[in-house]
Amino acid sequence: MTQPLENHHSELQIPRSARDDRVDPLGRVVATERKPNTPHEFHFWTALDSPVGIGTIVRVEGTQPVNGQLPEIYGIVVEGFSYTDLATPLHDMLGHDGTPGGASLSATQRAEIRLYTAAVLRQVPEEPLQPVPMGTVYLADDHDVAVALRMDGYLKEGSNTGIPIGVYRAGASDSVIYVDADFLIGPEAAHLNISGVSGLATKTSAIEWTLSSIFAHFPQSKGSVAAVCFNVKGPDLCFLDQPGTIDDADRALYEKCRVPATPFEHVKYFAPYKSDGFSLNTLRSNDALLHNVSSLTWGLREVLQYAEVLLNKDDVDAKADALIDFIRERIVDREFSDPLLGNRRYLVRSFADLETWFRDVLSALEGKNGEGWRSHHIATIRKVRNRLSNISTRCAGLVTDDGAVSDLPFGSFEDRTVYVIDVASLEEDAQDLIFARVVTKLREHLEKRDLGVNHVVVFVDELNKYAPHDGQETYVRKMLLDLAERGRYLGLVLFSAQQFRSQVHRRVVGNSGTALYGRMDSDELATPGYAVLSPAVKTKLATLDKGQLMVRHPHFTQPIFVRFPRPAVMRGRDGAERYPQATDLDIDAAVLRSLRSLDPSITLGWVRDAVGIREEDEILRARNATLRERPADVRKFFLAQLRPVVASQAAPRPQAAAIRSAPADDPYGF
Amino acid sequence: MSAPVLPLSPPASLHGVQRLLAGLFPDSEAPGTETPLELTSADPQPARLISAMIIEDGELRAREVEGEVDANFVAFLDGTQSSLVARYQRGGVPIVLGTVAAVIRERRERRLYTWRHVVERRLYVPRAQVSASVWQRFTSTGLEVRDIADDDNQSAAEHPLAMREAAVHRVQKDRERAEQSLALEWCRSEERYLFVDGPISGTEPVAHAQCAVGVVKTHRTLYASGEALSRVLSLGHGERSSVFLVTSPKRAPVASWYLRIRDPRGQEPMWALLRVEVSPSGVTGAEVTRRADEVSRWILAEAAPVSLPDGRWDKMVYGVRDCEEFLRAIV
Repeated sequence: MTQPLENHHSELQIPRSARDDRVDPLGRVVATERKPNTPHEFHFWTALDSPVGIGTIVRVEGTQPVNGQLPEIYGIVVEGFSYTDLATPLHDMLGHDGTPGGASLSATQRAEIRLYTAAVLRQVPEEPLQPVPMGTVYLADDHDVAVALRMDGYLKEGSNTGIPIGVYRAGASDSVIYVDADFLIGPEAAHLNISGVSGLATKTSAIEWTLSSIFAHFPQSKGSVAAVCFNVKGPDLCFLDQPGTIDDADRALYEKCRVPATPFEHVKYFAPYKSDGFSLNTLRSNDALLHNVSSLTWGLREVLQYAEVLLNKDDVDAKADALIDFIRERIVDREFSDPLLGNRRYLVRSFADLETWFRDVLSALEGKNGEGWRSHHIATIRKVRNRLSNISTRCAGLVTDDGAVSDLPFGSFEDRTVYVIDVASLEEDAQDLIFARVVTKLREHLEKRDLGVNHVVVFVDELNKYAPHDGQETYVRKMLLDLAERGRYLGLVLFSAQQFRSQVHRRVVGNSGTALYGRMDSDELATPGYAVLSPAVKTKLATLDKGQLMVRHPHFTQPIFVRFPRPAVMRGRDGAERYPQATDLDIDAAVLRSLRSLDPSITLGWVRDAVGIREEDEILRARNATLRERPADVRKFFLAQLRPVVASQAAPRPQAAAIRSAPADDPYGF
Repeated sequence: MSAPVLPLSPPASLHGVQRLLAGLFPDSEAPGTETPLELTSADPQPARLISAMIIEDGELRAREVEGEVDANFVAFLDGTQSSLVARYQRGGVPIVLGTVAAVIRERRERRLYTWRHVVERRLYVPRAQVSASVWQRFTSTGLEVRDIADDDNQSAAEHPLAMREAAVHRVQKDRERAEQSLALEWCRSEERYLFVDGPISGTEPVAHAQCAVGVVKTHRTLYASGEALSRVLSLGHGERSSVFLVTSPKRAPVASWYLRIRDPRGQEPMWALLRVEVSPSGVTGAEVTRRADEVSRWILAEAAPVSLPDGRWDKMVYGVRDCEEFLRAIV
């Protein structure tokens, strides 16, 4: 298990006096009446070859003491200007007789300036808050960056809640940027949202890197933490436990951030079956990787709790809702009898049982030509039957007719473990159902403090699909809103990603304390949500390279640009090539694969002998029971689940009467 | 040599000086305007024609500068001055705050950097118009105090305007001295070529230095007359005049010629016309032509970039404009 690292940012404890005071100034603050400095913004010029760029953090040393203290102002460059002493471009054209090539022959280059605008990150002292004074500008060093971003508050001894999110790079120096665990995982603030164009793998990579960092640095004193990731597309998250390819630059970043450059040690995968009921519906179905893949199947009881996820408002009116409640409370998992049904006893535990019950109720009503039963109109009963029966079809592979349940280990979650639920190949309804139920169960267990861990990070990609800012209200969106607004008090943290932040419900992204931005689409940047960013910052956002992010965090008064390493896990595409998806198996091979995870000595021949000519339903029921119980003697238990088969016996041949022999003296045989 | 550079403190600004003087001389009066005297005084030098000894061609004629232009100057020198009336003493005696500055901007990798600069501030007072005790109080200001009457102008008139013009004249001399001191410093330490804005004949060592080239933009004095003058004013782009020798009782002799650095068609006769001064040492015979063409090529190479929006951009090379901008920024 990955252990939190101790004293991981000791380099930041260097006292100010020990710093190298021989650093050359980078620039000088300037202000004019037309372009004055303010408490939140200032301007400075630099040499033409200075290493300043958009996003560079600088420190200004004032010269006039304020309350007996020389002010220090920290800022981040948000805009840059360059110009010469030309009054008009026409003059330059005239100077070269309209011949552009002549410019290079000019003996002297015009006086030129690099003028930058910086947004104030912090002023020391903080009171009185004054316009930024004239002063000398220096490139911020590690200590300056920590002070500028107020990281000093949570990196100091006794606090140590910093989680590395990346490395800020300026000039020749790298500074690790930490976010505050109290504001990332809670309880002060929580949640993380990442936006960026598709195709660069930045969003998924950033989430994987952030989870690695959390697992390495989340303080033991804050309790345990696990992650539940929904793999919603392709093989993105299917190989988190396999080593990926990283280069020396990535390794250096890992080392700088003190995060192990290794894949996740503890990952558990869950995937429903395909509609055949025995082939796992995941791209991680290669034999070599099945040791930590479990099936995810739910029965009637599990699904009925979340019926409203699958039934839209048109389906579930008050009458239908009442009938569903009745079924949930009085029918499912309870013995039920009714005079209408001839006092036959029903025990409904599966969709198949429920279907039988519905059929009998409707038959009885039709037989009596009745219009209602127990205040439920026959039309309502038909409608609910239709909708509920449909669920097992729409969610085939996830919802079992026989009521078999294979679920996440709610109650025994383990610290620093990733639980991946692969829903990439499922229908939208099934995805919604899984999402709703898993998150709800997580919340319930966290409320009761019996989940097994104190904090759970839930990662949801394609958030614009699950929590769009427009469209009709859905159960999933309501649940995401609830998670975003109240989850932090429980330790339930939402890490979400989407291509276009503007298309996600404002309350979901608005409640994300930490926001990451990869390369952004220009159209997206033109939306009002980005109006606070300067044109230069927008330009930088639109051209960010892989591995670069803009970070907003409650402690940072301005967005910061950082680099992060490639995740040390196998990329989905690479994994899919190296570990090809298993071809669809026959039921014997599927059972073998399942049972082998419990007893590797089992062979295909043994399975074939064991199941013989039994029906698929019976075989799968036996397999599911075995997987659920995980018995010591897998063979014995599995065989015990199968109904005994009477050994076939040859039917006795009727004794044929002996043919009377013809008399020797009767030539005709009579 | 000029006086050493004064510390900029106290007082560095006109208003600071005015406050100081008002304190020292409560009965003095404010000038009411802050217009530099250079803008209001008439140019004391009349326009004139002077004949000069021709040392190339026998007569002054137009010659095309031979060879490709070649930027060989590595530094530019220019100075600036500003004369402002700080107070009027009783009787209309002007107390002038004069500021002179000069700079050499060295060209490295096609960009200009300051090699050396001087800034001097003084009070210019007509000593003959103030009592000894008042003069003594002026000297207590911390600023250097200079009598506006000098060797050339022993008896400054009592007319306030004449006193102001005398002060401007004295400030101008100090400015020239500041420029010359920098030029001298360059010539003593460098062999590379220095472009001096203005004549180099003011200082003997500079006038004889091979590294200094003076370029004069104003032509109150023209060293030609008659047909020769007509040829000078008709010089075409890239043409120069024959070389002549400029001599003056108070100045060192220099070899000089006129050079047109831009196409003058459609412009006034002296548009883009420069007069170049170099040391006459060793400039004889064929060497005269070679040297004049060589230096002319260097100057022609400075025609770009143009010094717009400065109104004198036709004659002012960019290095000189850069010096002016630098001095404007620091004075």
